[in-house]
Amino acid sequence: MSHRQRRLLAVLTVVGASLAVGACTTAGAYDPTPLFTPSAAASPSPSATVTPSPAPSGTDVATTNCLQSYAPAATLPTPDKLPAGSTMAKIKERGRLIAGVSADTLLLGARNPVSGRIEGFDIEMLRGVSQAIFGDPNKVELKVITAAQRLPSLEDGSVDIVARNMTITCDRWKEIAFSSEYYRSGQKVLVRLGEKTGSGAPIKGMADLAGKKVCAPNGSTSMDKLRTFTDIEAVGADTHTGCLVLFQQGAVDAITGDDTVLAGLAAQDPYADVVQAPAFTAEPYGLGVNQKNVDFARFVNGVLEDMRADGRWTKAYNTWLADSLGKAPVPPEPVYGRTS
Amino acid sequence: MTAPPPPATAPPPPPPSVAPLPAVSRPPATSSPAGEPVPATGPAPGPTTAAAVPASGIRGRLEAVAASARAGMSGSPGRLRTVGIVCVVATLLFGLAAGQSFRSADGALGRAAANSDQLVRIQAIQTNVVQADADATNAFLVGGLEPAAQRTDYTEAIATASGLIAQAAQHQPADGAALSALNQSLITYTSQVEQARANNRQALPIGSQYLRSASADLRADALPLLKNLGEANDARVTEEFDRAARASLWLVVAGLLALVVLTLSLVWLARRTRRYVNLPLAVAALVVLVTMVGGTVGLLAVKGNVDTTRDGVYAATLSTARARIAGFDAKSNESLTLIARGSGAAFEKAWQASSGAVKAEISGLEATAPGLSPLPWDGYATAHAQIRALDDGGDWEGAVALATGQAANSGNATFAAFDTTSGEQLSALSGQTAQQLDDTGGWLPFAGVLGLVAGVIAALCAWWGVSLRLEEYR
Repeated sequence: MSHRQRRLLAVLTVVGASLAVGACTTAGAYDPTPLFTPSAAASPSPSATVTPSPAPSGTDVATTNCLQSYAPAATLPTPDKLPAGSTMAKIKERGRLIAGVSADTLLLGARNPVSGRIEGFDIEMLRGVSQAIFGDPNKVELKVITAAQRLPSLEDGSVDIVARNMTITCDRWKEIAFSSEYYRSGQKVLVRLGEKTGSGAPIKGMADLAGKKVCAPNGSTSMDKLRTFTDIEAVGADTHTGCLVLFQQGAVDAITGDDTVLAGLAAQDPYADVVQAPAFTAEPYGLGVNQKNVDFARFVNGVLEDMRADGRWTKAYNTWLADSLGKAPVPPEPVYGRTS
Repeated sequence: MTAPPPPATAPPPPPPSVAPLPAVSRPPATSSPAGEPVPATGPAPGPTTAAAVPASGIRGRLEAVAASARAGMSGSPGRLRTVGIVCVVATLLFGLAAGQSFRSADGALGRAAANSDQLVRIQAIQTNVVQADADATNAFLVGGLEPAAQRTDYTEAIATASGLIAQAAQHQPADGAALSALNQSLITYTSQVEQARANNRQALPIGSQYLRSASADLRADALPLLKNLGEANDARVTEEFDRAARASLWLVVAGLLALVVLTLSLVWLARRTRRYVNLPLAVAALVVLVTMVGGTVGLLAVKGNVDTTRDGVYAATLSTARARIAGFDAKSNESLTLIARGSGAAFEKAWQASSGAVKAEISGLEATAPGLSPLPWDGYATAHAQIRALDDGGDWEGAVALATGQAANSGNATFAAFDTTSGEQLSALSGQTAQQLDDTGGWLPFAGVLGLVAGVIAALCAWWGVSLRLEEYR
């Protein structure tokens, strides 16, 4: 057998073998389908998943000075005598007042799933403004916004007014204008029913929650205050209802917020309990308007004066808040004097 | 084979002491030169090839066999025999390669069909999931009292999706891990929707938060998984289509190799034996040539058909499925826009993107499947524009009524038209894809057997041709 022949045989054997091997191993066996690796997926929806809360924007205790709003005119102009060229006249021309509200803050502003309507104490204030402009309390378009959208939506003009349990602060005055105070709330904390401290004592306040996870909405004064408790892990959500979802799922131990808001949350979950201790902040609520619309701020203050005077304020309080927070207090005294 | 003892070249001194070995040591009868004394290096006849050492047992026998084989391959008949063996091996290999070629094409087509089935299954899962979400979000708009039909539709969509997940896992083990993750995220989704329902039924605002959360998680977890699954299976279909197209390579390479071997052998024989053509060997070459050319033409035709299917009905199937998925996604986003009530700009943007995707698929379908009537998307798009106009104009209640109503121009009714038409079109197209792939490859298993038989026939002819010459040495 010559060298060449042997080589030929060898080549044929190799080709044959490789064909056979190639046929048997590769066909029909695939790499596993890759799994999705969770990352910051772009989702347009406000999710209740835990999101890192932004850095504190500087806690600001409301001072008397910051509560100062623009004094209203002696008498409120009637709907058909609105000053020409004023913000109110423009709103009337449009045919509706566009308001930024919450749709899931029970008692203040929440969508009634049965009727589909958004209702609450905040909404009653807007009805008053609508009544003053149109002579009809229902000419309001309610735009649902998150806590963090309150200032931007006023600044870009997408809403005329915000009634969404917003605290009057000096910081916010730099970007928007407020009405006079229409409700005095305070921050409290909500825990699981029967929750005890490590030593078995009942929870009395934030001091008893060291080392726990506490939720508050991003961009709220509640979150700013929560950030000052350095031994508590702050967890952010888009809304207070988002916090309640996390609370029910066991992702957080407690929720902090204004007593009005917490009352609304506790009403939806019999195992949630608002800690009965005095509020540890003062949260004066104001209606927000665009900084340029000083005429509108004065007008709204006039409306609030009338509502306090004619009992509509007390009626709204009794309808929405009295069951959870006790009988109606004296409405907060307005503070005026702002000029610029 | 590098250091053969030279029994053929030098007459060794006969060692008398090793003579009494048994018969194995003798060269077989066929190898002894019986006829012409043509070769110059004629072997020395006689018992001289016996093993030099009287080894005992198996080792001795093996050595004896090797020695006799070497003797058989030596000299002119030996060379002739080698040529014959090479020809037989080459033609048999060709037969195997031809068989493998058709088998591989057949297998690839079968797997392409299986993978495209899987892809259709994955898309059906995705469609059902987004459909369920569209139902859940739409039902939410009307509050705690969910319309019974919509609830049934949701339940059916979820049941179908979860059934399909199990089927898909059975059909493609490589998808197993992704499908089990998908199953988990579907369970999370449905449990959140149920929680939303329970809260809705009690008129608690937290219900809407659970629904939003469910919808957002679905988009963040399940849809990317489905995207991965779709892409992986699409890649597998492409891989198998390519493999089917490549299958003729085996045939051509082995065929050319066999032809070279046979031609060289014919030339060699012609020189050595003073005959111009060894007829049986030539027939063997012809069989190889015909099988190779015929098979290649056939496989090219398969490739042509595969390409037609791939660019035509298969592409149209994928396109229709994508249009449906984008359509349902748009419907969900419409509801979410309304639920967000004024701050749903991001959802409306997503609606626009999905609607654009549907329109792109519809215009793509005109190119890939010209015979199909366009999917009725415009009717729903018009309804959506009206819904947006109402909502943006401050009439939220009117917008919701138009979106959830059952009137002919409502969002739900116009969308149902799109859903029905596209669903029918999808099942027709995916049936056609399977049918065409099946028709294309129907003859391949048969051809695989024929290829093997052709190899065996060529081998027999080759051996016959060589043994004709060998006869002359007897």
